[in-house]
Amino acid sequence: MDPSRTDLSQADDALVLRAQNADHDAFGELVNRHQRRVWMVCRQYVGVGEADAAAQDSLIKAFTRIGDFDRRAAFSTWLTRIAINTCLDELRRRRREAVVDEGPDGDDEPNLLNRVPDGDVGPEGRSMQKQAVASLAAQEKKLPPRQREIFRLRFYAEMELEEIATVLDVHVGTIKTQLHRAVHKLREDLGAYR
Amino acid sequence: MKTHLEENELTAVVAGLELEAAAEEHLGSCVSCRRQVSAMRDVIDARRGDLEDEAPDWVRQRREIMSQLPPAPAVRPMRRSPWTRPLLAIAAVLVAAVGLRALWTPAPTADPGVISELPVEQILAEVDAMLADDSIPGFELIDQGMDDVIFENGAS
Repeated sequence: MDPSRTDLSQADDALVLRAQNADHDAFGELVNRHQRRVWMVCRQYVGVGEADAAAQDSLIKAFTRIGDFDRRAAFSTWLTRIAINTCLDELRRRRREAVVDEGPDGDDEPNLLNRVPDGDVGPEGRSMQKQAVASLAAQEKKLPPRQREIFRLRFYAEMELEEIATVLDVHVGTIKTQLHRAVHKLREDLGAYR
Repeated sequence: MKTHLEENELTAVVAGLELEAAAEEHLGSCVSCRRQVSAMRDVIDARRGDLEDEAPDWVRQRREIMSQLPPAPAVRPMRRSPWTRPLLAIAAVLVAAVGLRALWTPAPTADPGVISELPVEQILAEVDAMLADDSIPGFELIDQGMDDVIFENGAS
């Protein structure tokens, strides 16, 4: 864990202690700090339409159960686990697949990455990047569910590898392997090879 | 000097995984390899930016969450130490064993060979003698003649 995350985690602990004693202001500060990540996690599982409701549900559950938080993991990790469980419960309830496939479909563009310009991009460059982004969104769907889940938690929810391992209850080595495969596949699909 | 990074090394850099020192050193000095890494990362960052554009109004979301919170968190159930469960099981087995033994063991019977230490016969004889005597000890008349005087005065 990098130093800034350690500081954040220590500051979280003080707020958690107050929230455990029914201090709503302290919990409000925890919401401020973590609502973006919680929403982004929910976004990956239930889709944009349900992400807000799932995120709210997760944060309310977190307050209700904050007495169970025993500091064995960081608060953010514990909260992310609640968010994932909330989403999976919702998905089970709706009998949908574990990770929602949604978002714009892009055409498979060969060598798209090579055509994305560096630095200050003009209108044509932005258009190229839009195509690459659309293609990435499409290619993500073709990843095996576990790889897709890990890729999204790593890059969109911006979680550390150890945190992902904790919330998914798998060894960090497995996370590294799966993430490497996912990135490799996406680079291949987006045309990193000449 | 290392040549350009291998595909698996480029992938590792994009994924944020650790590299060998030589590969790290090469990446620091090779524009071509860095360009390949940044091209992929830029696309991922742009995709994350697109997702963030869909995010709700955080202030509104926070307000809604706070309005739905219960007054206090749920009461935390008492957590037992890990060793209390086997200890309780052992105690239950012991209690059950003692109870079963008490049920199955016959009640002790009086031993005819045992003789009371009290002089029972002597006590019974004294009680019989007291019952046979009509007079009440301590209440006998001191002067028998007084009995007649009292009788006469009472009759007049």
